[in-house]
Amino acid sequence: MLKMIVCMKQVPMVSDLPWDPITGTLTRGAAEGMMNPACKHALEAALLLKEKHDGHITAITMGPPSAEEILREAIALGADRCLMVSDPKMAGADTLATSFTLARAIEIFCPDFDLILCGCHTSDSETAQVGPQLSEELDIPSIASVESLELREKTLRITRVSDHFLETLEMDLPGLVTIATGRFIPRYASMAGLGDAFQDPGILTVGARDLGLDEHDVGLKGSATRILDIFTPVGRKENIVLTGAPKKIVEELFERFDDAIGSVIRKDLKAEK
Amino acid sequence: MEFNACMKHKLVRKSVREFAEAELGPIAHEIDRQARFPLEVIEKMRPLNFFGLQAPKRYGGAELDSISYAVTVEEISRVSGSVGLCITVHNSVGVYPILKYGSQEQKERFVPKLASGEHIGAFCLTEANAGSDAGGVETHAMMDGDRYVINGTKIFVTNGGVCTMPLVFAITDPLKKPGENASVFIVERGTPGFSVGEIEDLCGMRANPVSSLFFEDCRVPRENLLGREGDGLKIGLATLDTGRIGIGAQAVGIAQAAYEASVKYSKERQQFKKPISSFQSIQNMLADMATEIDAARLLVYRACAYRDSGKPFGKEAAMAKLHASATASRVTGKAVQIHGGYGYSKEYDVERYFRDAKVTEIYEGTSEIQRMVISRAILSEPV
Amino acid sequence: MAEKKHSIWVFGDYRNYFQNRVTLQLLSRANDLAKMIDAEVCATVFGHEVDEWVGEYIAHGASKVYVCDHPALTFYSTDIYVVLMERLVRQYGPEIILVGATSFGREFAPRLAKRLKTGLTADCVGLDINDEGLLVQTAPAFGGSLLTRIVTPEKRPQMATVRPGVFQEIPHNYQAAGEIVNVPLPDDLPEDRIRLVSSERQAAREQKLGDASVVVCGGRGMGSRKKFRNLYDLARVLGGEVGATRPVVYAKWADEDALVGQADKHISPKVLFSFGISGAIQHTAGIKNAGFIIAVNKNPNAAMMKMADVAIVADAGQVCTALIRELKKRIRS
Repeated sequence: MLKMIVCMKQVPMVSDLPWDPITGTLTRGAAEGMMNPACKHALEAALLLKEKHDGHITAITMGPPSAEEILREAIALGADRCLMVSDPKMAGADTLATSFTLARAIEIFCPDFDLILCGCHTSDSETAQVGPQLSEELDIPSIASVESLELREKTLRITRVSDHFLETLEMDLPGLVTIATGRFIPRYASMAGLGDAFQDPGILTVGARDLGLDEHDVGLKGSATRILDIFTPVGRKENIVLTGAPKKIVEELFERFDDAIGSVIRKDLKAEK
Repeated sequence: MEFNACMKHKLVRKSVREFAEAELGPIAHEIDRQARFPLEVIEKMRPLNFFGLQAPKRYGGAELDSISYAVTVEEISRVSGSVGLCITVHNSVGVYPILKYGSQEQKERFVPKLASGEHIGAFCLTEANAGSDAGGVETHAMMDGDRYVINGTKIFVTNGGVCTMPLVFAITDPLKKPGENASVFIVERGTPGFSVGEIEDLCGMRANPVSSLFFEDCRVPRENLLGREGDGLKIGLATLDTGRIGIGAQAVGIAQAAYEASVKYSKERQQFKKPISSFQSIQNMLADMATEIDAARLLVYRACAYRDSGKPFGKEAAMAKLHASATASRVTGKAVQIHGGYGYSKEYDVERYFRDAKVTEIYEGTSEIQRMVISRAILSEPV
Repeated sequence: MAEKKHSIWVFGDYRNYFQNRVTLQLLSRANDLAKMIDAEVCATVFGHEVDEWVGEYIAHGASKVYVCDHPALTFYSTDIYVVLMERLVRQYGPEIILVGATSFGREFAPRLAKRLKTGLTADCVGLDINDEGLLVQTAPAFGGSLLTRIVTPEKRPQMATVRPGVFQEIPHNYQAAGEIVNVPLPDDLPEDRIRLVSSERQAAREQKLGDASVVVCGGRGMGSRKKFRNLYDLARVLGGEVGATRPVVYAKWADEDALVGQADKHISPKVLFSFGISGAIQHTAGIKNAGFIIAVNKNPNAAMMKMADVAIVADAGQVCTALIRELKKRIRS
């Protein structure tokens, strides 16, 4: 049986109302959460492997109690088991602390895995670091931004695009992959799956103590980086508004910008005199 | 703005919304314009259990609680009222009566096919002379050997153009008094004598294939009688109670869509050098819309909670349907007003919400009938 | 020359050299930072027959280059390079390490940072030194809608990855002097756990949208598939590529390949035409690096219109047609 672990993160649903498109600010506290899109792609890749190779999937997340929702969603989609790593001390973790904590949880609660799948990056912090750092912590090989996966016995053959090179690579399990978005289009949760996902009374939740860690290993105190501040980039451009009939607008556009556009497309756009 | 009973309902809402926005969102405008039932999306809805939302697992259903069901109908209707209508009618008045009144053999024969979406259900009650007055029904089913022969015409059948296992309300004993003279039959498509009329050209819900169904010496086996002879009114009334929750949810969804569009538009539209959302008249309208929708939603959920706990819920369902449908009409009307001239144009979605909303005050019991139901209940309650 | 207090290292990412100039850009910024903390700027180069890159890096600001040149290092390998680099770092103790955020760098840097148990900030758009002498790393969040300033107060080295195009390289000076430190290949390197089966340059077609200097993007505001397809004519006349929003791809007006937005393709054209797009965050996250933006939308208050340099309030389909006509006239003449 192919034992898989899918690491996932709950991120803010930025298209939610508390986002102000004009000023570009988000009231984080008020935003609803969702499964990070890339993590959903990773789960889909795992589900496809599960169907093909008689597999078992454990979904793991490190987050606040509200993150339970994405684990339930993972079950609705087809994951077999869940692990919630949650503790107020874990808040404020950077990728170093996050990967360390997840690794401990995996070593204690799902030690004989074959393959770990992560999303290539999250839609909020977008570092793409947790996957590779988790593999280092567990001392297993990893390949990032995978676009296709094929398993033969204990060897994984993958393809991906890396700096304009289409690479085919092989890795022996146990190993870790991060999944590129765009290739493994996630399935929809069925209504029966959603109903079933909540039949289980509880999801196994572990805190720092259960992992044998204290507050200096996890969260803000266990992090190497510190955020000084968060701000919105200066955005508002001085812009020019053109109105009227399309023909007239296009003429005016060229009158003012024929050089600007022409130089980029390398053509002379001046009108005939 | 959301009343989230618990994490499960939140997740159901998000999941259905994700599906509806991705699959119905891009075509909702077009299918209304063309009056086209989107078979390609219905096809995708089948394996996701949208046609067996509350049917038991053993028949292939999702066995969801009523609030989850209401949330699902609301979220689909928020994107397409027509498809939301198809789903709620199929589940509430097409499948549910068989589950409640059918024999074990009937449940096993019909429910799995309906729950999978392979077959689509409907409930045929209305006729030319029988709208609010069910007593005006003329379609009759007379026993002949081991068959019932059905003759009559049913009009304004939701899902009419695509239903393959509709329930038909017909008079079986004209000599008995109303209340005992009618029965309900499951009529399968392909039965000789059963044909479908043209799709109606309606103001709203245009992507739903509403049509007439004709029964001319349509011979139906006695095994297709639902319950017993004479149970027609009982089945009809109980079915309507459940159906009203679904329509209430549908109305909430349509109102929600109109409200969201109005909030967005009012923040973007500038007049007198300010967004119109800064004017008190618009703010007042939005405040009323938000409040009414929340109230309607809560009434629907209350009816759901009563239903799931086994309590009688006829009055509560009628209140929910009455208020939600009135809310939908008011909110969509205000939405068009807020959008001004653009709201009157087919380029924007609000005029579709406005057209779709109106019928929620009419079908599955007009608002006048709902008031009758409610007043009868309150006047018979002990003081 | 007096010993400098610190050293700032830049990882030599020489693959795709002539288009990929991120190492040179980082050397330039490293020099700015070096002046503020009294540091020398070094580069590291691992590979085989790498003299050309070593020369380039010295000519572009590296005063020292650590070179490990060996046939076993002919192809990039994350496993091996990470181990090599870790050993060098432990031996020489740089204060700061900068890595280009290429596909390779974004995998290599986190693994190195983890081995060194230090902090790493990804995709920085700014690097500075503050009053305490710490490297201030400015990185985007939420697709660039927010910026965060981050420091690594205690752990060393301080590490950051930076995307190509953020900094400007200094003009080359082939007269510059630089010390070359040859590092022998350790004989106890672990075996590479990843096997390269094949590697081929990506088909030119697939790179097009990401590399295009002119992009014509279309959204639902185009109205119909037929009208949307006119954008392809416009793109052809301009010699550019077509991009699309998610709803358009779902409606099958355009292929999945054309999708532009968060978690999908990011584009950075010099000129971007945006037709009938409202500007949802999921799309605008993918176009934040566009140069000159011309947006066409019936709604003057759409977010996309606020982002644009030129906001045209009109029917997107009609402006597209008028634009094609006018361009054909002018280009012919």
